[in-house]
Amino acid sequence: MAVTAPSPVSEQTGSTTGRPRRPRRGRGSRRRRGLLAAAGAVVALVFVAPYLIMLVGSFKTRSEILRVPPTYLPETWHPSNYVDMWSTPETPLPYNLVSTIVISVCATLLVLCVAVPAAYYTARFRFPGRLLFLLLVLVTQMLQPAVLAAGLFREFVTLGIHDTWLAMILVNGAFNLSFAVWIMHSFFASVPKELDEAAMIDGASRLQILRRITAPLVWPGVVTAIIFTFVNCWNEFAASLVILTTAENQPLSVALTKFVGQYESAWQYVFGVSIVGIVPVVVLFALIEKRLVAGLTAGAVK
Amino acid sequence: MRTPVRTTAAAVAMGLTLTACGFSGGDEGSSGDDAGGGTTIDLLVPQYSDQTKALWQEIIAGFEEQNSGISVNLEVQSWDNINDVVRTKVQAGEAPDILNIDAFSGFAKDDLLYPAEEVVSPETLDDFQQSFIDNATLDGTVYGLPLIASARALFYNKDVLAQAGVSEPPSTWDQLLSTATKISELDADVYGYGMPLGSEEAQAETSIFTFGAGGAWTDGDSITVDTPENLEALKFMKSMIDAGVTQPDPGATDRTPMLDVFIQGKIAMAVGLPPTIGQIEERNPDLNYGIAPVPTKDGEPVTLGVADHLMAFRNDDDKKDAIRAFLDHFYSQDVYLSFVDAEGFLPTTKSGADGTENADRFSEFLEVLPNARFYPSTNEAWAATQGALQTLVGQIQSKDAAAVLKQIQDKADAA
Amino acid sequence: MTAPPAATPPATPESAVTGTRRPRGRPGRWSALGRALPWLTPALLLIAGVVLFPAGYMAWTSVRDLSQFGMDNGPAGLDNYARLLEFGALPRVLLNTVVWVFGVVVTTVLISLGLAQFLDKAFPGRRIVRLAVIIPWAASVVMTTTVFYYGMDPFYGVINTFLVDVGLLDQPYGFTRNALPAFLTAMGIAVFVSLPFTTYTLLAGLQTITLDVREAAQMDGAGPWAAYRQIILPLLRPALAVATIINIINVFNSLPILQVMTGSIPGYSADTTTTLIFKFIRADRQIDTASALSVLNFVIVLGVILVYLKVVKPMRED
Repeated sequence: MAVTAPSPVSEQTGSTTGRPRRPRRGRGSRRRRGLLAAAGAVVALVFVAPYLIMLVGSFKTRSEILRVPPTYLPETWHPSNYVDMWSTPETPLPYNLVSTIVISVCATLLVLCVAVPAAYYTARFRFPGRLLFLLLVLVTQMLQPAVLAAGLFREFVTLGIHDTWLAMILVNGAFNLSFAVWIMHSFFASVPKELDEAAMIDGASRLQILRRITAPLVWPGVVTAIIFTFVNCWNEFAASLVILTTAENQPLSVALTKFVGQYESAWQYVFGVSIVGIVPVVVLFALIEKRLVAGLTAGAVK
Repeated sequence: MRTPVRTTAAAVAMGLTLTACGFSGGDEGSSGDDAGGGTTIDLLVPQYSDQTKALWQEIIAGFEEQNSGISVNLEVQSWDNINDVVRTKVQAGEAPDILNIDAFSGFAKDDLLYPAEEVVSPETLDDFQQSFIDNATLDGTVYGLPLIASARALFYNKDVLAQAGVSEPPSTWDQLLSTATKISELDADVYGYGMPLGSEEAQAETSIFTFGAGGAWTDGDSITVDTPENLEALKFMKSMIDAGVTQPDPGATDRTPMLDVFIQGKIAMAVGLPPTIGQIEERNPDLNYGIAPVPTKDGEPVTLGVADHLMAFRNDDDKKDAIRAFLDHFYSQDVYLSFVDAEGFLPTTKSGADGTENADRFSEFLEVLPNARFYPSTNEAWAATQGALQTLVGQIQSKDAAAVLKQIQDKADAA
Repeated sequence: MTAPPAATPPATPESAVTGTRRPRGRPGRWSALGRALPWLTPALLLIAGVVLFPAGYMAWTSVRDLSQFGMDNGPAGLDNYARLLEFGALPRVLLNTVVWVFGVVVTTVLISLGLAQFLDKAFPGRRIVRLAVIIPWAASVVMTTTVFYYGMDPFYGVINTFLVDVGLLDQPYGFTRNALPAFLTAMGIAVFVSLPFTTYTLLAGLQTITLDVREAAQMDGAGPWAAYRQIILPLLRPALAVATIINIINVFNSLPILQVMTGSIPGYSADTTTTLIFKFIRADRQIDTASALSVLNFVIVLGVILVYLKVVKPMRED
């Protein structure tokens, strides 16, 4: 990939050694930073607002949540919703959380293991069928999972692994491959090849190069791929709905629907479970975001 | 050359080994072979209320205690999803052994079901009320086992009606329109009549009016949508919308949220079902409401009845005895009533009707039940017709009623 | 599978990397492919193992006559496709699809470019803002849409009440009750849930552009806008291209947003081809017609992506 103009990049690598990120220029900074922070607060509010409705709703009683006209804040707060929802008759929520975690973590690992070599090689080497391979990977993303669910169920019944986590790990792995390959491909490609060549002449193996030189430089891309894959697995619904039939095996996304009844829904639980589903992902992101920034500063190549 | 750990290659290899050794979580409980050599029957049911799963679990526990060697594998799905799940399973040849759902005729036409007489004892079969059995029969064979029934009745807000100077709930269309008009003119921020023509259950609201005009969805053979009676009903519905006496945007209002608004006292009249009573008790016990037969064109009593069914799939003849044992157990009076009474529906069996605790509570519904008419769900084309009603009939809010009826008729004919 | 990559003899770096040593004979090409395979095989296996069968099954059912519960009643030739073409509302649905995909993707990308630039600046509380921006991504689309749907209910919706209380509306408005406003609201939600992923992909792209480059850009004397357009944007191109491709596909295949927001609305005036597939399945009980539409849907999105790749050339060979 030659999209990245070569000159600035080599300039970058040429001068990165010991590159200090700070100090930044101090020009007009305080007022400007204040304005930026204020704008940041507005942006944050916009993105959080719907989930505040969700959070507040999860503390209301079943009757208050459908009051006409609605109340902005609960008349009395019911944190007990967050206790009760783990032992409702509708769904075994602790199991559902475990299922979600196991499926998402394993599928993300699977995607990484499969996508990193493919992305690396396609970015680094020309070979016949390279574009075809990338397109084929992309095609998997174009298929609508809900449409494929019937076929997937049939396939896994034949293989005898329907209603298992393994089936969903494979499904999630396959359907998230394309983004992971493509994003990492674009990041691998933006790392100057001269680095590899220099290292290769030093006698390093291709894997050592990948690990020691390329990987740190492409951290932001890898992290983006990890988050993307993990979040998609975490929220996958269409295939889980039909493939996982035992209540204990089902992920949170499917468990949520159990609170929607024929004539009335337990909105307070729907909202509460959603919050429970969001928090781990945000925590994960908070942890990994440091790496994303670190990837930048640690990206200096010795 | 090779760094032993933490290389990508090792990770790939590990990942693949991990998957290759059959890392299968939570395999227990999945259907199929079970160790004890007994029989496992799969039961797939929809979620009626938040108690549904617990009720079935209790019934299953009682059954398994009496029938060692048979275990029942329960799967509960929400109404939103159960059709997708069933379709996928049937398509893959993995139908449940027993299914609880509204319509059975599609499965019966595909020759997937056992006739009822093969999977319940004659006593159990005789115990069903005849009207429900008629509704569960296809080409002379009973396939469906009526599970629960409900009928529709008019819920009205007594306070609001009194405020509008109306003492009796309406029983004819003219009265319905005039009462709703008076309420709308009250300036009390209350809508006269709640008309839910959104996709959730538009076919039910429509049926109440078409039945009320003497219309029917079938002539015995084919589905009849575009008939003079049905047109008259839709025109009347449209006249109520045009008069502005319904809630805003009736064409896109779903049933559940509409009833929520009725319960909050902001809609004066709406057609409800037996479970509506429990919802009012829970959410707004102070609501001063009454229940009356649904208004019809000239007051002739008729309403919509709905029955859901159990049905047994012809998967494996070895399971037939187990299925029969379970169904007979389920329909025994005590067990059956433990389910129907708790879910707040009307029983479909004679012994259930005699024993139900809810006789008083549901007296208005039990009164209208003899005049109830059902969807023509034994007609194969009904499922698609119902879908067309759900997705299209709301258009009468802005379109010509006759054109909408014709569009739905076309869908029915294509099914 | 054992770990083969390390064992593969490395290609001569110069030739492999620059690809300048032509002409090459067939054997060279094949051995290049042979060297590539160990790196690609896991991905190919996964795709072949999981995706191939259901995709083929979809295509197969599109030429079969299926009962409403999926029993196969024999071949149907192209009847399902014919029925699809006769479907009266199809032009409207296709138009909706174009508006939906184009509107959502373009809006998303434009906002994300600005947002990524903003989040790349240093200011107090930036980490919190970054965390806030990711939340719509962390939440499932169904849940986000559901909370909007709930909030916009004309009776018990908090958002509607808020808009009335602050004086923007005289009375609650049925956002989800009429085709056009519901469709537009759904587009807004689609943008909202697509922003985090797009922004983060671009942000990651920005991270690879170092300070030196940016400063060099500014020192050229061009204004900030010109510097952005001439230096930063071209460097962002790989990330932007991938984000756009993935967005096009995801938005095209997006089901829950429209299903929740416009699901109660009668008729087809707020449907895209994707939601129409599910109306065929759930309402009309025509699994076979739905399969035909799924195939058509796939062909359309494949075509769009191929055109995009052809025009934008994010994977240009040299």
